[in-house]
Amino acid sequence: MTDSFRFDGTPVAFGPGASIAAALTAAGHRHLRDTAKGAARGMFCGMGVCQDCLVTVDGVPNQRACMTAAVAGQKVERQAVLVPLETAQAKPATAPARVIAPDVLILGGGAGGLSAAIAARKAGASVVVLDERKVPGGQYFKQAATGAPLDAQQAEGAALLHAARASGAEIVGGVEVWGAFDGLLFLAEWQGTALVARPKTVIVATGAYERPVMVPGWTLPGVMTTGAAQTLWRSYRVLPGQRVAVCGSGPLNLQVALELARGGAEVALVAEAAGSPFGQIGAALRLALAGPSLAAKGLAMRAGLWRRGVAVRHRTRLIRIEPDGDALCATFRGAAGEQSLTVDALCMNAGFEPQNEALRLLGAAMEYDAEVGHLRCRRDAGMRTTVPGLYAVGDCAGLGGAPAAMAEGRIAGCAAAAEAGQGDGYDTFADQRVLARHRRFQHALWKLHDIRPAALEEIPGDTLLCRCEEVPLSEARAALTPEIGHAGSLKRATRIGMGRCQGRYCGAASARLVAEARGTAIDAFSLFAPRVPMKPVSIAVILAAQEALDAGA
Amino acid sequence: MPAPDVLVIGGGITGTMAALHLAEAGARVGLVDAGLNAGSSANAGSLHVQMQSRFMRLYPDQVPNVEAALPFYRAAAEEWGRLDALYGPFELSRHGGLMLAEDARQLDFLASKAKREERMGLSVEILDRTALDRIAPWLGPQIVGAELCRDEGKLNPLVANLRLAARLAALGVVQIRDRIETLEPDASGVTAIGRAARHRADRVVVAAAWAAGDLVRALGLALPTRAEPLHMNITEPGAAQIRHLIQHAERSITLKQFGSGQIVIGGGWPAEDRGPDRMPGVLAESLLGNVALAARLVPQIGGLRVIRTWAGMNTTMDGASAIGALPDTSRVILAVPGDAGYTLGPLVGRIAAALVSGAVPVEDAARFSPARFAA
Repeated sequence: MTDSFRFDGTPVAFGPGASIAAALTAAGHRHLRDTAKGAARGMFCGMGVCQDCLVTVDGVPNQRACMTAAVAGQKVERQAVLVPLETAQAKPATAPARVIAPDVLILGGGAGGLSAAIAARKAGASVVVLDERKVPGGQYFKQAATGAPLDAQQAEGAALLHAARASGAEIVGGVEVWGAFDGLLFLAEWQGTALVARPKTVIVATGAYERPVMVPGWTLPGVMTTGAAQTLWRSYRVLPGQRVAVCGSGPLNLQVALELARGGAEVALVAEAAGSPFGQIGAALRLALAGPSLAAKGLAMRAGLWRRGVAVRHRTRLIRIEPDGDALCATFRGAAGEQSLTVDALCMNAGFEPQNEALRLLGAAMEYDAEVGHLRCRRDAGMRTTVPGLYAVGDCAGLGGAPAAMAEGRIAGCAAAAEAGQGDGYDTFADQRVLARHRRFQHALWKLHDIRPAALEEIPGDTLLCRCEEVPLSEARAALTPEIGHAGSLKRATRIGMGRCQGRYCGAASARLVAEARGTAIDAFSLFAPRVPMKPVSIAVILAAQEALDAGA
Repeated sequence: MPAPDVLVIGGGITGTMAALHLAEAGARVGLVDAGLNAGSSANAGSLHVQMQSRFMRLYPDQVPNVEAALPFYRAAAEEWGRLDALYGPFELSRHGGLMLAEDARQLDFLASKAKREERMGLSVEILDRTALDRIAPWLGPQIVGAELCRDEGKLNPLVANLRLAARLAALGVVQIRDRIETLEPDASGVTAIGRAARHRADRVVVAAAWAAGDLVRALGLALPTRAEPLHMNITEPGAAQIRHLIQHAERSITLKQFGSGQIVIGGGWPAEDRGPDRMPGVLAESLLGNVALAARLVPQIGGLRVIRTWAGMNTTMDGASAIGALPDTSRVILAVPGDAGYTLGPLVGRIAAALVSGAVPVEDAARFSPARFAA
């Protein structure tokens, strides 16, 4: 702890590489913003998606604390609900736009994207990888901001990142891709200016974000996704709170609970929606057969939690969260009835939503997978989508896990390079076999958890469906007149999905709400229509991109 | 269900208001819409009254018709005021519109335009920079003056559409989802043949905007409706400071601030027409060009982020509206605004409803007669 910035005048110390959100969390500041309706908000997704941790940094409003690096002497402020326009003056772009035209452009520097980069470079293609984070690696390999790897998983990620850099691929961090247009034109924000890409081929490897457990109180400061808590710990060595609980379903919850416990947090409870794997011997056995080493890892995780006395309660769900002074009172319901716990932080993950915005914008065909409650991108064995030159790998194409994403990346990298005229798309037989095995494992794995979308009738009416516009489920239900035949009409009637997160949390729930009311099935067109920008983009960056395109980029 | 007295084709603002007035007059009304949501439901809520420079540049041949219709535009803005009082609030305000000039030549053009508009009864005034700074102290330094048209304003179309739809439901108007492709009038009524079903009614009001031309062609009318897919952007919210509707003397732009504090930027940049069965698509050049222009005119929005863009449809014809029965078929009544359909829609719908019910229209309807397009 050497440096410090000021948060509303109070000094906040931070370690090297920390994000503003990590530094504020470490200092106990969880309440970062107030909404139009006067509700307190803090960091939720920890990965730049939810837009709830917006603060004013050195006079520039609407900066995501989770994605902005802490800098010594910085002035960080809670901002007015409506920022006065004169304080929001355009900061001119810091430099002219950068224009690139690689053989293979890769969106996302995680497990899939980095593997694709190495394969495409090996075939001789020029490769640029764009990643949102300053330090690429993705959500699975989650790299430390500074210092040595924490464990084998981070070390494996560091090695992959090193191999990708050594392959000659250019890996650009801190890039927010906000525009995808027909003819493969991509517009991005990079270091305060624009980046324009006109690649020959593109591999979308944008991963997924986390599905929340929507209950009353899920927007309170201190409530965050499990991945957000993991980023705090793995990337910045900050605990989300001293006493925490974890809820939802899936192996990430178990892993993060163990990591936080090892890091010194008191993990009061892990609430898992599914039954115990020891009560589902058949499914557990299939998992062990499909991936003995990964299954053993899972078992070791449970043993680790047990040794630390962390209670993992199955068939247990979060039902509400209330503020309790500076802490949270979380109430769970399980076989033994209801139980309330007071915690500093509550972590939630009830599955994943693919970050498929670029794929949908470009018109790639999708199918709805009701089992996991999200879209899967239609692809051939070479990871080609239905759009020429467009490939998709990893969780952005539908939940599949990091090991599968890596195999898909190697296959797509090779195929995209060949399409761009580099290499011959060599035999990917071995990778296809690896991929088939990982897919079998994933299939068995999710049988042991419960990530089906929550039944809407079980959600209390006062639960906020739309975080940004603060629309409760009851209001959405009341708006469901017979004329509302699509989530888009519900959006126009209620403002659900019109806020800064662009419908990322309420979109799937809205589509299900309309489908249930109309008695129709959800398909690839039931969700909100995809829109540019994929992430809010500053007008200064638009100006820089316009100048570049005017100049013939 | 018995066949309705009147079937209104097109559930945008024009058809909605025609149906509303007919139902209030006691008719049994059906409202059929294809549900593609690209016209009124994609509108950005400008109440246009003064001649739009964009339109004058693109369609010089239609300017005489638009100029002659200026009192009609003003009356249409007033009609919106009445609706706001009756069924609102729609976040409607009429603080006027500012058309900006960046040099002396543009200001001269606005001055001569203002004279023509004043002759037609509009409340307009040319403001120099000093006068502008008193009412709009957030303009770029290059702005030398502007034309203020006090008749102009803005509203939130999402709120207006929702409240008017609720009124329709309360009146018992039956809403049908179908795309009507053919109209077959006969001695006792009209059959409207849709993709999903055949619909029978005593009379039909065609309020189908750009799709109206195709619908009435077989009935002997060469209505030159043209779909004009247009681009729009919206920012995250800022403090409410921009009261006027902002336009430019030469370039395509509208800029206004909604009640939410969000800035809506549009004004006629093209979008991609993807045919009648798909929403129009967003073009990169329009997004960049439109937002960049807005930021140059009003630099204070530059620190906000754009959070969404979309495309909607405007409809142009010959600059004048087409309201009234077809020359050969009195059972089919047209209700198509000449331009700026969301502004004109309520008044056009009201006149069409009056013609159907045989009431005395609020405006002299003869000058809107579709007979001018008889083949």
